[in-house]
Amino acid sequence: MAACLAATPPAFAKGDAIPALPTYTAAYEPQGVDERGLWMQMDEAERALRDSKAVINDPGLVQYVRDVVCRTVGEDRCRTVRVYILRDASFNASMAPNGMMLVHTGLLLRARSEAELAAILGHEFAHFELRHSLNGFKQRRTATDIFEWAGVVVSGAVAVGGRGAYQVARAARSVQMSAVRSIFSNSREQERQADRLSMAYLRTSPYDPQCFSQIWSRLMDEADATAHGRRQRSRRYDKVSFFATHPTDLERATYLREIADGMNKSGADAAERYRTALTAWHPQLLADQIRLNDFEGTDYLLTGLARDRWTASLLFARGELYRTRGHPRDLVSAVSFYRDAIAQDATNAEAYRGMGLAQLRSRDPQAAETLKKYLAMKPDASDNAMISTLLQ
Amino acid sequence: MLVSSTHTAHAQEKSGIKEGFVLKEQSAKILLIRPTIKVGAQSTGRMFEPNADWTAQAKENLGAALAVAQGRLGNEVIVAEEPIGAAAEKMADYRALFSVLADSVIRYQFFPGNRLPTKKRKGVFDWTMGPGVAEIGKGTGADYALFIHNEDQYGSTGRKILQIVAAMAYVSVKSGEHAGYAGLVDLRTGDLVWLNADRAMGGDVRTPEGAQKRIAQLLEDFPGSTSKPAPAIAAAK
Repeated sequence: MAACLAATPPAFAKGDAIPALPTYTAAYEPQGVDERGLWMQMDEAERALRDSKAVINDPGLVQYVRDVVCRTVGEDRCRTVRVYILRDASFNASMAPNGMMLVHTGLLLRARSEAELAAILGHEFAHFELRHSLNGFKQRRTATDIFEWAGVVVSGAVAVGGRGAYQVARAARSVQMSAVRSIFSNSREQERQADRLSMAYLRTSPYDPQCFSQIWSRLMDEADATAHGRRQRSRRYDKVSFFATHPTDLERATYLREIADGMNKSGADAAERYRTALTAWHPQLLADQIRLNDFEGTDYLLTGLARDRWTASLLFARGELYRTRGHPRDLVSAVSFYRDAIAQDATNAEAYRGMGLAQLRSRDPQAAETLKKYLAMKPDASDNAMISTLLQ
Repeated sequence: MLVSSTHTAHAQEKSGIKEGFVLKEQSAKILLIRPTIKVGAQSTGRMFEPNADWTAQAKENLGAALAVAQGRLGNEVIVAEEPIGAAAEKMADYRALFSVLADSVIRYQFFPGNRLPTKKRKGVFDWTMGPGVAEIGKGTGADYALFIHNEDQYGSTGRKILQIVAAMAYVSVKSGEHAGYAGLVDLRTGDLVWLNADRAMGGDVRTPEGAQKRIAQLLEDFPGSTSKPAPAIAAAK
């Protein structure tokens, strides 16, 4: 597929920006009080997570995601990883210091190819391999220690009073500010390191490294659409805010593209295999996305997923999205999306349900017919009684 | 986490018992659900620093102290085995439900000013997890399930020095946090029959003696016990 074709020629060679792969230690055990403490917490959290309903227990899907991790970081490294798929519509993934990897369904919905998923999971694995949780913990502890000492100086200056108290308090406040700033700038630096190491994994993997930067370009567009729909100011991408834990999407898209250009490596994006693996889960993931109540962001996402072909499940999801917002004009659009979905897949009972409800609200006399069809197709539907009362 | 504040004590009740509840006398079998125990240090900047060794010691000490304390009341404590498969999901659900329930009781009953209208009548203590909770005790013969949550943050040296220096500058700084709760659920009805929550407890759980003191505080007003604090008993070494 053409999803990840590089269009721009390399601006300058950035091949040296990628680190060499660190030496890998199998079955690493935590060392020292801080690291053992963090692992203990994570081991306990993993026990709870393993049995939690928030996790999707589909062995096939978990194995598929695991295989992608293994193809990215190599067989040796991936042996440490336990993959948990969290039913969470946000775009995110994370990896704990003990080897527990969390993949949100929102990421699975937004990635368009295996190569994109590989890049993100490689990034999370890089945090793990570089032991960023531990380093971040230590850095935050130092910074909050400084903050607390400076806080005592401020309160002390106020309590003791006298000449110069104001200057002392002011100086101590500025020490506090730089301590806080250091926490966030350290976090951003860790993200950049993880991005670079992920590119190093991609270099030795079968995947195309260009895909990584394209995710961030799309996320900016989606965020713009969301902001527009919510009448909010779009977030700026050329400026880092004080409390930002990650570099801006624009910065990431730019340097990742430069690194990929400098690598001069081609690879597969495996978009078709990705689509096949996720097809069965699409209805559920789309339903969760629609519940976010983010009309424009979701419409952008759906249009992107459809690209040149609107499948029945995407059309149905779009119908649900429009019907949920429910302006009179949306109901008209929704009915046509449901109709197109049914034209492709006549067995989709839910599409009849949605169409009937949209027609009902538009005072369309066809509504009863459509809803009866739904009940006939799905007599044991959980909302059978409710729909029946609407028909009386 | 970043803002220093002093802790003010509110008038708060610490425990509640279901109206008219009497523990099955002298022979109650109590199923101990895997307790949540977290022990660590508190950094100068008030961050929690988890400590694996202290936590392991506390788990062992608290477990032993609990068995002794319940034995004196004539009750038998069975430690819940780690379930597998569907049973594991049930257990995870009910552990999660209990933590929400305990938080609700503490927030909406133990603070008189914040009491829900249905909890205002004197003596009322009406909370339940539903009869479905019986499933987690299946096959154990247990009458009750005991849930325990315990979190200790010992002030680090840096925190203590800060406290001393701050005191010299007339600034009050608190060092350490020791909070926990214990609750007993009737496995037949699912009703919460007793809950005890304490935000400031004594006893160093890293030592057997301290753990006994802590358990005595956690089990204060436990159904069937006298209201007097239990006398210290010899440490089981």
